[in-house]
Parts: sequence; structure tokens; C-alpha cells
Amino acid sequence: MREQLEKLQRDAEEELRGALTDEAIQVIRTKYLGRKGVLTSILRGLGSVAPEERPAMGQLANQVKDALSLRIDSVLAGLAASKKDGKLLQERFDVTLPGRGGACGKLHPITLVTQEICGILASLGFSIVEGPEVELDYYNFEALNMAKDHPSRDMQATFYITENLLLRTHTSPVQVRVMEKQKPPVRVIAPGKVYRPDADISHSPMFHQIEGLYVDKRVTFGDLKGTLTFFLKHVFGDDIGVRFRPSFFPFTEPSAEVDIRCVMCSGKGCRVCGQSGWLEILGSGMVDPEVFKAVGYDSEEYTGFAFGLGVERIAMLRYGISDIRLFTENDRRFLEQF
Amino acid sequence: MKVSLRWLRDYVDIDISPIDLADRLTMAGLEVDAVEEYTPAFTGVVTARILSMKPHPGADKLHLLEVSTGEQVLPIVCGARNMKAGDVVALATVGAAIPGGYSIKSSKIRGEASEGMLCSEDELGIGPDASGILILPADTPLGVNLIDVLELRDTVLDIGITPNRADCLSIIGIAREVAVLCGKKLRYPKIAFKESSEDIRSLTSVEIMDPDFCPRYTARMIKGVRILPSPKWMRLRLEAVGLRAINNVVDVTNFVMMELGQPLHAFDFRFLDEGRIVVRRSREGEPFVSLDGKTRNLNAETLMICDGRKPVAIAGIMGGENSEVKEDTDTVLLESAYFNPSTIRRGARFLGMGTDAAFRFERGIDPEGVVRALDRAAQLIADLSGGTVSKGHIDTYPGKVDVSGPITLRMKRVEEILGTEVKAAEAAAILKGLGMNVKKEGRGVLSVIPPTFRVDLWREIDLIEEIARIHGYDRIPVTIPPIPAPGDIHDRKREFESAVRAALNGQGIMEVLNYSFISPQSADALALPESDERRRFVRIANPLTEDQAVMRSTLLYGLLETMRRNVNAGSPDLKLFELGKIFIARGEGEQPREVDKLALLLTGSRYGENWHFQGLATDFYDLKGALENLASCLRLAALRFVPDTTIPYLHPGRAARVLIGDREIGSLGEVHPDVIGRMDLRNRAFVLEIETEPLMGRADTAIRYREYSRFPTMIRDVAFLVPMEVDADRMLSLVRETGEELLETVDVFDVYSGKGIPEGMKSLGLRFTYRSPSRTLTDDETGQVHGRMVKRIVESTGARIRGES
Repeated sequence: MREQLEKLQRDAEEELRGALTDEAIQVIRTKYLGRKGVLTSILRGLGSVAPEERPAMGQLANQVKDALSLRIDSVLAGLAASKKDGKLLQERFDVTLPGRGGACGKLHPITLVTQEICGILASLGFSIVEGPEVELDYYNFEALNMAKDHPSRDMQATFYITENLLLRTHTSPVQVRVMEKQKPPVRVIAPGKVYRPDADISHSPMFHQIEGLYVDKRVTFGDLKGTLTFFLKHVFGDDIGVRFRPSFFPFTEPSAEVDIRCVMCSGKGCRVCGQSGWLEILGSGMVDPEVFKAVGYDSEEYTGFAFGLGVERIAMLRYGISDIRLFTENDRRFLEQF
Repeated sequence: MKVSLRWLRDYVDIDISPIDLADRLTMAGLEVDAVEEYTPAFTGVVTARILSMKPHPGADKLHLLEVSTGEQVLPIVCGARNMKAGDVVALATVGAAIPGGYSIKSSKIRGEASEGMLCSEDELGIGPDASGILILPADTPLGVNLIDVLELRDTVLDIGITPNRADCLSIIGIAREVAVLCGKKLRYPKIAFKESSEDIRSLTSVEIMDPDFCPRYTARMIKGVRILPSPKWMRLRLEAVGLRAINNVVDVTNFVMMELGQPLHAFDFRFLDEGRIVVRRSREGEPFVSLDGKTRNLNAETLMICDGRKPVAIAGIMGGENSEVKEDTDTVLLESAYFNPSTIRRGARFLGMGTDAAFRFERGIDPEGVVRALDRAAQLIADLSGGTVSKGHIDTYPGKVDVSGPITLRMKRVEEILGTEVKAAEAAAILKGLGMNVKKEGRGVLSVIPPTFRVDLWREIDLIEEIARIHGYDRIPVTIPPIPAPGDIHDRKREFESAVRAALNGQGIMEVLNYSFISPQSADALALPESDERRRFVRIANPLTEDQAVMRSTLLYGLLETMRRNVNAGSPDLKLFELGKIFIARGEGEQPREVDKLALLLTGSRYGENWHFQGLATDFYDLKGALENLASCLRLAALRFVPDTTIPYLHPGRAARVLIGDREIGSLGEVHPDVIGRMDLRNRAFVLEIETEPLMGRADTAIRYREYSRFPTMIRDVAFLVPMEVDADRMLSLVRETGEELLETVDVFDVYSGKGIPEGMKSLGLRFTYRSPSRTLTDDETGQVHGRMVKRIVESTGARIRGES
């Protein structure tokens, strides 16, 4: 009888391995464990077993039955689980297809650079002011020590509306407007559009400047150098070389052009920097006493510095843009890149 | 200005490289834009003497020569005729390269050996003369490289001279700067010449009718000149600085202008009626033919140089054709004058003549350098043309030229401006080096008189700049000014604009930047009526093109143009915005109104063409939604939209005015099909333009949390059948107006017309959500409130109820 029970177990296991459906497994269960099944028929022969062996045989039969029963349950559960997985797998998506939803909007590169510059200068205590774009000759030129008939007006070709009304050629008139209204200390920046009748690959009839002005007691040329050096290192990196070079602006004296080491060739000389290794990046200087006179400041008591920079120029260097006209062409393929 | 180093070395020794020199000048405010090396395009040409010369036995036109380079004697076959035995000539030796890619080889010409070639100026590319070979002065050393003998190598600096530095518009001016910067001595040219016994005052006279315009006029006369090409040294110098050599008189006037900065003019004396000079203003409309052959119409403000009867030159700008020096000129009247800078500037601008002379006069020349330049030119003309200078010069000086008197310079002030101390001794040395008269006035105080050629130095600050630039900007230490405690750290406008940009970017809308000037045609393109203020253009007097002739009065035209360019470039799906100013003209000569605006444009497919959404076009509600989202992001009170059929560039059935509170801020809608057609836009587009300033103060920035209800909602959906023209807003307002406390929200959940709905009607599905803050609502309670709502709508609008749940 022991052999019979052990065989039953082996046979059933064997058949279960070949069973792939619920139905087939149920058939196996009935065949071996059912009321008319193999186990039952083996147990019928219990009577012919020696009485002292009967309890052991009975115990063995129960063990076989329980084990087989458990085994069948687990095969059934496994089958159910894999059936469910199969169903989910059939619901598969192509996860490589692009996701839904429109592209993110972008800011114009001029806005990006303006925001960055204003942010750095704001951290130095400069607050932002604005002025009109259609400006009076007085504010754009005369109050800035550029009398009519003065050759310094050649430095800035001008769009005129009438004889005394023009499109501002720089953001400097905002200096005058601020100082007329406010007593020192004054520490302001004026970002905005400016206009000059010039159009080619590196000149746009409309471009953007940021003007800075700092007036107080004891403001020095050293402060000008320090402030602008700090600023340029923030924009172009700590390693950037900076130099201050004498120049001329009618509304500052002493005046300085500020150059940085060419970011394209690191100063070796290239097409972008005209082989000089330096790039002119902003104009600056100590506010000319004539300007203070025009706004009623006492130039013995107060000194100050002013500077102006071209946003397009910095954006072109920053992003490697070689044609200034791209900024106003607004081609989607350009705008998308920022 | 171009500066030849060969020429510069006539006045100052330079022992640093051209690159170093350029760097020093640049760092002293004379910006060197370019350093160009000039080397002739030949090699292997040396000086040699012709020892003997005889005809070629086999050819009539050739000669057989023996030439000596000092070391060897060579046979040469030569076709030129202008040489003779004993002449020193330019010999291209075997192996030499000459322009045009030729190299000289040992050869036999008609059976005779030739070990080289004698060259003309033209063949060497160093001059125009092709008539014969180049003959050098007899004392020229032999066997020496021709490039060295003729000093043909040069370096030219191109220097950007700022408008204040009139004194640097000459070689001597640059030499003066170089001398100071390099610690060298400046050498003025020596001026010495013989005069005849005939006094100029017996030959001519100068009368100045307008001393304000012409404070000073000086003249000399040179008789018996022979007009010839200038010698090589003169031509080389003029050509190096970009001037064309003409003849030995005209070249001298140009040479001295470049050398000393004083423009000069030479008249052929025989053409001066009554043999005298009168300086006066021209008459309005008077015609005059200038040297360049062009007829100029003068105005009453133009200063003219005249003879006894007629104008002969436009003062300080250009001479006249009627008195110019010609090949047969014998007597020259030489002019050296000081003209009022503004006079010359106005004249040159009026006539559109930016000449080298005008450029210098309008910036201001040295009023005390006038006679020196006159004498220098007289010397050179006499030297080069063989003429004789008449005795004396005329100096008519009725006007007054302002020159700077003593300036007090406080060393303390130098330190206050620069932030670093400069010792009085150093300052004095710098200023003296620049030609100033410096005296000590007291402790730390100097009294300084600038030289008359420094027309830019009047004030203490001018001197401080001079000290700073020569001392060196790079030697001024860097300091950081104290940063003040911030006052108001909020920049409302900047923060508002950033929030607008972020909210629009978040909705996939891209920022663009258009020109502020547009075409005046824009008003017609947008069909603006005559009365529309957007036709009150600010017009540019001198626009670059007619397309950019007026300041924009709307952002929309630029956005639509941007759309057209992109559509044409293959990008039809666009979501764009622009923040910027528009301009509305006020009175003549008055500044216009400048208004900050925001504009949006949507066109093409909503999400771009992709596999999710095919043919899903952007529509009105995308645009409106974008604005509503913006308002929500900015925490603005609800915007109101009022249908408007009269906005000229918008589709009359798909347009609305936008209001915030009672203030109208702009409009939105679908672009009118006529505008699409006129502007060749191809596709439908949706635009809005609003004023931004009214939005700024209206954001609800004081955020207060409100308790929300923890009890469940009761929802009732009703489909109303209403006439097409009943707008949703009307129905919603009716409900909201009740102020019913239990009504939490009411929304449109369905709009339907078509099959199953009578013609001219639509079904509008409203969802009513009821909730109490304090209890769970019962069916009955909800039913009563809801019944009142529905009844109100039905009674007010005549709506029928199509279904309810």
C-alpha cells in the first residue's frame, strides 16, 4: 500500500506539470482525490493491511492527500495570476510615443539677458526706472552736454520726429529725468529700447540699452571700476579679463570704455574681436559737472558715475548669435531655442 | 585717422613695436582699430649703377648694359630709353620676384646674355610711372635693397579719434601723444625759406566782412611755381594715410593739413578778380561749382571766400573750380585761416559735404597755429615747385577766438574724483608733457594754462581726465561702494511683467519682440476708421524705409506681420505674445502718449500637428482661456467680456471688449477675414490687445484662507432650450445674482445645437452644485432652492427645460 500511495503522488505530480488549464487541473483533482478517485480505491485495500500497520498507513494516506491538495491549489493560483498578467500585457501602450500637451513658451533672449543684468544690478542696490522712448532733444542731447552743432552729435545718428522731438538714441536721458526729480543719493538703472538709423548685420535701428547711474557724496572712479568689474564677472564668469580705457562721452568725464577679454578666442585675436583680443562691452564715466549743472546738483558736493551697455551685444556674445536682425525677425525656430 | 609710422618717425623716435605702440595709444584714449603692415610685393631688387650702355646688335629697340651692384658686374638687356651710363637704377637680380607673379631668370635675349632686369615704378607696383625705368639719385649706395633705400616698408595705424580730440587729427598731434607716453622728445619740422623782396601787401589784400564766422585769415604768395608731380617721399606719405597725390602744390596743402592739422587752400592767383580776397556770407540760393565739379546751391549762412567779384571757395569746406591750381599755374595765393567751428559744421551739413578740411575746422583747430602752417606750406611749395615766396604774410585777425585761461587744479579734487592719490609732481609732469603751462599756486594747488591746440580743456575736470588717462586707468585701484539697505525691494511693474511672462509661458505662449516702428499702411490694413486714435501716428521725419515710418499705435500689426513671416517660413502653428509700448500722437512737437500693452496671437493647430490631435485648430476659446488663465495667475478680479460687432479688424460675430471692473482695457477676437486677406496671412488667427497698467493695481495679493465645507454636495444638471442669441453669461448671471447661499457653483457643462434641437435654438446644460457649510443637505431642501433657480431662468429668458437630472 505504501508503494501505491507513493506512486499516486508521483503520477499526480507528473500529470499536473502537463496541465495548463483550470479544467485539466480539476480533472486531475477528481481523478486522484475524488470520491471515486484513485486515493479512495487505494484506501479500500486498507482492510488487507496488517492491523498494526493500519494507523501508519492511514496517516500516510492523509499526508499524501493534503500535500496533493495544496499542490493543486497553488498550481491553480499560479495559473490565475499568469492569466491576469497576460491580460494586462495585452493592454500594452507604446511608451515611446511622444507625450501630450503643447510645448512650453519661451522668453525672448533680450528679455532673458535684461532680466539677468537687472537682477545683478538690483543686488548692488540699483532700482529700476523708466523714461519715454519719444524724447525731447533737451533730455537726449542738450542736458547731456551735447549742444546743437556740436560734433559729438555725430556719434549718434538720430531719428527725428520734429526738430525738438526724437527717438531717444540712448537711455541716458533717463538719468537727467531722474536727477531732476530726486536729490542724491541716486542709484538707478534704466533698461529700455533705443533707436538709431542704422541697419546691417551688427546694427539694428532699434536695440536695447541698460543705463546705470550712481550719485552720492564721495563716489569715485575707483567705485566705477569696482562696480562694473563685479558686474561683468557675474555676467561673463570670474575669470573674465576686464580693462578700462580712456574714451569720450560728452556727459561723463573722465570717460571709460570697458572691454572684456574676447569670449570667442580668449584674447588670442579672432574675427569677432577684430584681432584685438578685446571686446568693447560698455561705456562709462564720472558724471560731467555740466550734467549736474543742468539738473541743479552741486558738483562740488556730489560726484557720481554712469554707464550704459547694449543688451543685444551681450546676448549675441552669450548665445553665439552673429546677426542682430534675428532678434526682431521672430522666427519660431529662433525663439524656440531660448 | 590713418597714421603712417614712417611719417610719425619724422617727429618722434619710436623704439617699441607697432603692436606695443598701438596698445599704449589705445590705453591712453586713442583707440587703435587696426595695425596694418605695408610691404611692397617684390623681393630681390637692389640698387645698381649703369657702367656702360650700347645698342643691342640684334634688335633696334634694345640696349646692352653693364651694371654694377658694387660687388659684381652683370650684363643686362633692357628696352627702356630714359637711362644713361652713370645712372643708379633698380635691378631685379636673378631669382627676384616682382608683382604679377614674375620671377627673374638668367636668360639670353636675341642671343645676348641678360642677368636680371631693370624696373620701372609701375613694374614694381610702387608708383604710376611706366614711361621708363626708375632712376634713383646719383648718390644712392649700390647693392642695397630697394625697399630700404626708398623706405617702402610702413606700418599704418588706424586710430579712432573721439570728437573732443581735435588736436589729434594730425601726425604731429599723434606724435605729441606718443612722446608723452613713451618719454621721448617731440621734433617740430624746421621751417626756413627765402623770401623775395616783393611784399605781399603790395600784391593782394584780405578783407573779412564777417569776423564772427571768420575770426582770422592769413595768406602768402608764391610766384613762379612749376606744377609737377610730387616727389616720391611726399607721395608715399600721402598715400599711406589714404590721400591721393595730385600735384606738388595741392599735395603740399594736404601734406601740411595732415602734418599740423591746419587745412589750407591754394588759389591760382590769376583767376582772382581784382587780385584780392573778401570773406563774406553767400547769398541765398547762389550757385557755386566746387572743385569736384558739382554745382552747389548755397544758403545765406554759408561762409564764402570771394575775390573782388565772385565766390572762389566754400570757406573751410572745399575750393572752387574757378580758381583751382592747374598745370600752367604760375602764382599761388595760399590761404591758412581759422573759421568758426559751428559755421563750418552747419555749412558742411547743409551742403552734405564732409571733407577732411571741414572735419577739422568744425572740431576746432589751433587758432595760434595758423601762421606756422602757412609758413610750412610756403616752404614746401617753394622747395618742390621752384617758386619764390613773396615777402611777408597777410594776417587779418579781426575776430576773437576763445582760448582757455589759467585753470586751478586742486590735487584734493583729483583724489576725490579718481579715488586714488596722484602726487602733484606727477600731475605737473603729465600736464607739462602735454604742452601745458603749469605753475604751483599753493599747497596741493596748481595753476594750469592749456596750449591753444587743446580746444577741449577748459575746466578742472578736463585736467583730471588728462592726468587719469596718462597716469593710467589700470593703476586706479578698484573699490566697491557701500551697498545701501534696500528701501522698497518690490518693483511692482517688474514683478507684474515677470508674472505675466511666466503665466503666458506656462501656457505655451512664446514671447516676441517687434520693431517699434511700423508702416503707416497698418491703419488701412487693420481698417481703422478715420476717427480711431490709432491713426494719430507719431511720424519719423527720416525713416530708414517707408515700412518703418511711424511709431506703432498697436502691437497687433507687428504680431500679424510676424505671423505672416512664420507661416511663409513653414511654421503655421503659433502662440505669440509681446509686451511693449504703443505711441499716440498729441499736439505738434509734443511728446506722444506712450502706453504699455500686451498682445497675444494664436493661429494654426492647438497643440501642433501630432498623433494625439489631428486637425485640432486653435479657436476663440483658446485665446479667451489664455487670458482668463492669465487673470487667474495674476489673482485678478474676474474679467468681463462684452460682445462687440464694431471692432474693425475683428470678425464681428467673434469679438469682445475686455473690461476689468468698469474699465475697458482692450479687446479680443478672431481676426477679420478681410484683414487676413489684405495682409496675406493665409490662416485664421485670434488676437487680443490689452492695456496692462490698469491690471497692475488690481491683483488680489492679500491672500486670506477661507474655511471649506466638509459636508457633501447635491448636484443638479438641467438642459435648457434657449434661442441662439441668449448668451451663457446672461443665464449664469441670473443665477448668481440671487446670491443664494447654498449654491456653491453653477457651470456650463454642455452646449449643443443641431439634430434634435429646433432651428435657431440651442441646448445649454447647466450644472448646479449645492452645499451647506454646516450640514448635509436633504433632497427636499435642495429641491426647493433649485426650483427657484430654474424658475428664475425660465421666467426671465423664456427657456424651456429639455431635461433634468
